[in-house]
Amino acid sequence: MMKLIRPVVCSLAVAVTVAAPAFAALGGDTTSVQADLARMKGALRLTSTAVFTVHEITTDSGVVVREYVSPGDKVFAVSWRGPGIPDLRQMLGGYYGQFAQAASTTRGNHHHLAIERPGLVLQSSGHLRTFSGRAWAPDLLPQNFSVNDIN
Amino acid sequence: MRKFVALALIQLGFLAACGGGGGYGGGGGTPPPPPPTQTIATPGPPNVEKMTVDSGPSGVNAANTVYISVKVCAPGSTTMCQTIDHIEVDTGSIGLRILSEALTSVTLPPETDGTNPLAECVQFADGTSYGSLHMADITLPVSGEAAANVNVHIIGDPAYVASIPSNCPPGLQREDTVALFGANGILGVGPFTDDCNSTGPCPLPPAPPQSQNFIYYTCPTPSTCATTTATVAQQLANPVTLFPSPDNNGVIVELPAVGSAGATTVSGSLVFGIGTRTNNGLGTATVLLEDPFTGFITGTYKGTAYIDGYLDSGSNGNFFTDSSLTLCTSNANFYCPASTMSETATLKGTSAATLTANFSVANADMLFSTTGYTAFSNLGGTNGDAMGFDLGLPFFYGHNVFTAIEGNTVSGNMGPFFAY
Repeated sequence: MMKLIRPVVCSLAVAVTVAAPAFAALGGDTTSVQADLARMKGALRLTSTAVFTVHEITTDSGVVVREYVSPGDKVFAVSWRGPGIPDLRQMLGGYYGQFAQAASTTRGNHHHLAIERPGLVLQSSGHLRTFSGRAWAPDLLPQNFSVNDIN
Repeated sequence: MRKFVALALIQLGFLAACGGGGGYGGGGGTPPPPPPTQTIATPGPPNVEKMTVDSGPSGVNAANTVYISVKVCAPGSTTMCQTIDHIEVDTGSIGLRILSEALTSVTLPPETDGTNPLAECVQFADGTSYGSLHMADITLPVSGEAAANVNVHIIGDPAYVASIPSNCPPGLQREDTVALFGANGILGVGPFTDDCNSTGPCPLPPAPPQSQNFIYYTCPTPSTCATTTATVAQQLANPVTLFPSPDNNGVIVELPAVGSAGATTVSGSLVFGIGTRTNNGLGTATVLLEDPFTGFITGTYKGTAYIDGYLDSGSNGNFFTDSSLTLCTSNANFYCPASTMSETATLKGTSAATLTANFSVANADMLFSTTGYTAFSNLGGTNGDAMGFDLGLPFFYGHNVFTAIEGNTVSGNMGPFFAY
């Protein structure tokens, strides 16, 4: 069942182990925040398609963070899932200001929030003890990439 | 653009014909076909509380938010009490939380760990709320359901929010006022017994940038709070579990159908107990057993199985992913299709039983353009969880939705489960 909703990554991707862990905020590159993986005390899994690479960090507290990296080594999307929302300042990097401004003027509800600005889309969901969300920079999306693949 | 205008005119026509709607499930437009046998229990003792969908506390302008009143008293007192209206009824969270701003005429003693007062940071999808924990005797004024010595989260008490701990997730909006929270408080009556961990202490938060949706603090002073593990007894409990038997194994949210143009207000009933009295039986409802750890069921929609499925009175729309539906430009939370779309999903729990869920998605901008309307049966929006399928309050209109609490068995069905 778990696989049904992630067909694209799973069917197109090849999982490999990487020696050089890297994690980065939206808009960054994969060499910019090497320290994050160590800070999150997580395990890294890398999956690649012809269009993008996913860096997935799973921590022992059950948080899964993914960053979607373009062939040009730009993080164009991030997602998270676990018992809380990760620090969005760190997840969104230079895009955080846009989020904060938009969030202050957008009424969500306690279980869903979505903001859409020309440079940034963010969707957050939380139910009981599980939180999930995703954010992307429309300008950075690779060609032929569907945002439905951010999961 | 032309289509939008035409539809708006059609809607106005309905409104005029229906005199503006309102009242008990009233509203304009063509009502959906009624479910076969919806019977809404009459509010009153011993186990039926009155609920109302309206615009919320002054200045909030809520949509699809169902509220209740709660009377809180200092423990043991019958005079140091206050009845607080506009407490949101949420089957998607756990525990009673009240905004400090709304608690004006009674002082509640702190909940302590034996030495220091406790405080809590709670995360919602759209923000975080922080404040100290207190003790109260609570009574629901219409049904008379009551529980003593309940842990209550008081959100936004000034002494505490003056120094919010740095690990109370930064980067999210603070929701420590009534206007930002959208209610005077929230009554979390979901399928779990406790907010953070039903079977043991609430863990300390992980290292940043990770986070945790519940963080407890011990506070020698309001400005020197330190993270602590909270025992099950110290955590916020599901208030339903504290009510006397036989009303403590779950709730039924009973709201009448709402027509396609919406309604000004809606009244309904929150029934306590499932399968324990003549007014709370499962009847012909189908039970969907939830995952015991997440509370999720599976919703299959347009051929895709969404494994993070749930029914949630605290969601003001039906939230799911459908790239064929246009998002509103004014508010990306909601869909704004050019014409109303009829949708179907199949819900399934961990057993073989399935339920068909029919719902529709109308243009949210047009729904919201009707001044004074607060209840909409056809509001839909996107879901930040790519695996999420959330049937929120729009789906509750016209259905009696059961939410059974973990560990309770009704007719051989072990909670947590949904049924309708």
